[in-house]
Amino acid sequence: MAVPEPKWHWKSGLLSEWPPILISLTLSGIGLALIFSATSPMGEAGRSFVLRQMTWCSLGVVLMAIGILFDYHVLERWGLWFFIFIIAALVTVWALGKVTSGSRRWIDLGLLRFQPSEFAKLAVVIALAGLFRDRGGKGPLEPRDLIQPLVVVTIPVLLVLIQPDLGTAAVIFFIAVSMILFVGVDRRTLLWLGGFALAAIPTLMLFGDRLLMAYQKKRLLTFMNPDYDPLGAGYHVIQSQIAIGSGGILGKGFLKGTQNQLSFLPVKHTDFIFSVLAEEWGFIGCVVVLGLFLALFLRGLGIVGKARDNFGALLAFGCTAILFWHVTINVGMVMGLLPVVGVPLSFLSYGGSSLIASFLVISILVNVSLRKFSY
Amino acid sequence: MPDALLSDSSADGLRARVWIATLVVLVCVAVLIGKLWHLQLIQGESFVEMSLNNKVRTIHLPSSRGRILDCNGHILAENRPSFTFSVVPGELQNPQEVIKLCSPILGLTPETMRGLLERSNAAPRFMSFPIKKNVTLDELSLIRSHAEDLKGAVVETRPYRTYPEGETLGHVVGTVGEISAPELSRSARMGYRTGDLIGKTGIERQYEGFLKGEEGWEQIEIDAKGRQLGEMGAKPPRSGNDVVLTVDSSFQRYVEEIFIHRAGAVVAVDPDTGRILAMVSRPGFDLNLFSPSITEREWKKLNSDPLHPLENRCVRGLYAPASTFKVVTALAALEEKVLTPQRTFTCKGEFERAGVTYRCWNHYGHGKMDLKRAIVESCDVYFYETGLRLGPERLARWSALFGLGKPTGIELPQELPGLVPTPSWKQRTYGEPLKDGETISNAIGQGYLLSTPVQLAMLTAALANGGKLLKPTIIRQIRNADGSVVVDVSPVVRWDIGANPDHLAFLRSALRSVVSDGRGTGKRCRIPGLNVRAKTGTSQVISSKQRTEEGDQIPYHERTHALFLAYVDDLPKKIALVVIVEHGGGGGASAAPLARKIICRYYGVPDPGDPKE
Repeated sequence: MAVPEPKWHWKSGLLSEWPPILISLTLSGIGLALIFSATSPMGEAGRSFVLRQMTWCSLGVVLMAIGILFDYHVLERWGLWFFIFIIAALVTVWALGKVTSGSRRWIDLGLLRFQPSEFAKLAVVIALAGLFRDRGGKGPLEPRDLIQPLVVVTIPVLLVLIQPDLGTAAVIFFIAVSMILFVGVDRRTLLWLGGFALAAIPTLMLFGDRLLMAYQKKRLLTFMNPDYDPLGAGYHVIQSQIAIGSGGILGKGFLKGTQNQLSFLPVKHTDFIFSVLAEEWGFIGCVVVLGLFLALFLRGLGIVGKARDNFGALLAFGCTAILFWHVTINVGMVMGLLPVVGVPLSFLSYGGSSLIASFLVISILVNVSLRKFSY
Repeated sequence: MPDALLSDSSADGLRARVWIATLVVLVCVAVLIGKLWHLQLIQGESFVEMSLNNKVRTIHLPSSRGRILDCNGHILAENRPSFTFSVVPGELQNPQEVIKLCSPILGLTPETMRGLLERSNAAPRFMSFPIKKNVTLDELSLIRSHAEDLKGAVVETRPYRTYPEGETLGHVVGTVGEISAPELSRSARMGYRTGDLIGKTGIERQYEGFLKGEEGWEQIEIDAKGRQLGEMGAKPPRSGNDVVLTVDSSFQRYVEEIFIHRAGAVVAVDPDTGRILAMVSRPGFDLNLFSPSITEREWKKLNSDPLHPLENRCVRGLYAPASTFKVVTALAALEEKVLTPQRTFTCKGEFERAGVTYRCWNHYGHGKMDLKRAIVESCDVYFYETGLRLGPERLARWSALFGLGKPTGIELPQELPGLVPTPSWKQRTYGEPLKDGETISNAIGQGYLLSTPVQLAMLTAALANGGKLLKPTIIRQIRNADGSVVVDVSPVVRWDIGANPDHLAFLRSALRSVVSDGRGTGKRCRIPGLNVRAKTGTSQVISSKQRTEEGDQIPYHERTHALFLAYVDDLPKKIALVVIVEHGGGGGASAAPLARKIICRYYGVPDPGDPKE
């Protein structure tokens, strides 16, 4: 039940929450500029991408504002419904989804296209936060405590995996594991968890042939040996590294990235947007953006420490994990440290669902932080 | 304060966990920044280059390969363009039209063409996909006349090697072919790429560096789809150098024509300069079979031929010099003072040593012989005696002085050094000492002794020029495409044998008698008006004990090889030559007449034919 707060408390409270809001707006602004550059070789068609991203951005800001108004405890009650809704949406995608580039990820709602997997991450965080909030004082998680969370996690992970979307499934998995470890596991559980993972690998490999599509297998093989398929799967990474590396310290300048402008870098307005940043704004530009993200992570972790209850802390942690894993996996993939999996870069990549989901994440963080003093 | 959070009831527990998480975050971001540092700062330069490579496509302009010419400038190897009909899938608008118009011209069935065009769809969109290679000029004109209808169809030209003289000097000129993977890795730095032509045998291979020239380039700005946006720079290619040989191709052709036997070799050389006048290895092959590339059937045929037509016997054929070696034994014996020309031995047709009987070719025996007679009539027994007295060490020393046992250094690839047996070699190779019987065989040019025709030619040349062992050379000059001289090859004297001129004079006169004397084994080389000096040889292929038949019934591969060394040294124009007819029987019988014809042709005198007696 939301406790009404004095107005003056509220306003000054909100002002002190400027860092994450400002950072998210700055990052989206940078994203717009990058998308503009990335889509300019497409000529007329490119304009529409920027316009659409601006629309999503506005929508995201509005939703963020609305989200801050509500007390996050609303999620305690509605979290389960939200989770079920997302599962339903994922099932709908699986059954009826629109196929783009060989995978089914979208639900076409006429004017909008809605990607449930982006919101599945939020749903999982909220669900897990709900599951663990009563753990206080009960000691570290034992193996049997993991059963319910793992079920909660595995369903959306599998639904996403068969889309197929290896990247998002992996992100959800990592977020869940982060949260579980944060809650605390005893040695036995850790061993169970480790054993489970070890057992999963050969099982995955056995079923991998059927679960993983040819292009995903190619991507993994290419990751292990970039020259395996230089004109195919390895192409993205090699071109991306060329784009990044050739940016040097200062970059080639706005709209002057040759890899970008001459269309050597594929899907650069979505998953590979960081390469556009690196090529045109160089090392300095990358460090600035990574710095902004780092500030966001640290702020998020700070909020975790100051949250007034378990649920808030867990929410904050989970949300920070969402942003953290997106950034780490995307930037790592784009540089060739990780296999190429389709994970967008929060705030920067083109994509409405990802952008709105990211703004919602910010709103939850601000929400938790705001309520730390309210009683 | 937050209520007891999670499993650990203290606030410190929560703080600790937040700290751990913070640490993880910091480490990950540090790794990312570290990798960025690596990519952008440390490797930045090379990536800049790679991005430029993406943007600018360099088109290689192949260089024109140098020609190979004979000493008079006649062309032995040159280049002709070959045409390939290709399609560019991305530009092909009307495949049906292309099939309809081109398949009859190209001689392909419409089904074949359709299949090829379908395959081309899988290839890069804006790169040419070959449909038919070696399109003729006529077919080309027909296709060109339909140019407007055929968007996306292109004709590309590629040079290929052509050999106007066909078989002549085939082994010397050599062949070219596409560079293989091991060759590519060996010469990567010298600008070779897959698909380039590289010399494989002969001069084409040995002088690849000169013949290749330097390719040029053209830089074109392109986008990711391979479409050309504009030209940025160019460097024209530099043609390869022409290689001029020492051989006169018409003389060479004559020698090839008269060599009617199945297998063998002829090497004729100018004894004053070491320049090769003719180099024939039989059987030969037509170089044009290899251009543009040899068919599998032809290759199989050449490779599986038991007579090995692809081998250049002149530098790789190993023969026992047989009686021709007696000149070495004789000179060695004189120089080492083992005997004087007047020393006599009696030949009874056979010679016994350590329980083994060695025969003379004349079973009845030559009777009492001095050195001159022994040379003229090629008595084996005389040289058995001489050889024993010389001993293997001294025999080996003089063999080496005459250039045997080591490569001559002629500018052809894969020359074999032959073999001169020494006691230490025998011990090393067989683990036992050199026996007297082997020295005996050695003395008459059999046993372990092996030599190549070019070595024997230089040996003969040394006799003709007064005792200097020259380096044989088949290259006269290397020139630029415009005719200016890059390299002019001068004669090289490897060493002077250092023999006493009296001994050489003696030998010279003995070798004259080989031809002029009534009982001389070389009488079939007699030419009126010319003082031909010569030595015959008949080398055993298998021992007489193993022989299955006699006379004419002996199977080909068991017959002896016929050898003949000859020279003319008292005219301004000199010649020294060696003729080897594999399994030709007697040297005086089979090889001498060939030498006669060659010498007549060289001096422009009519061939007198065999002597009547």
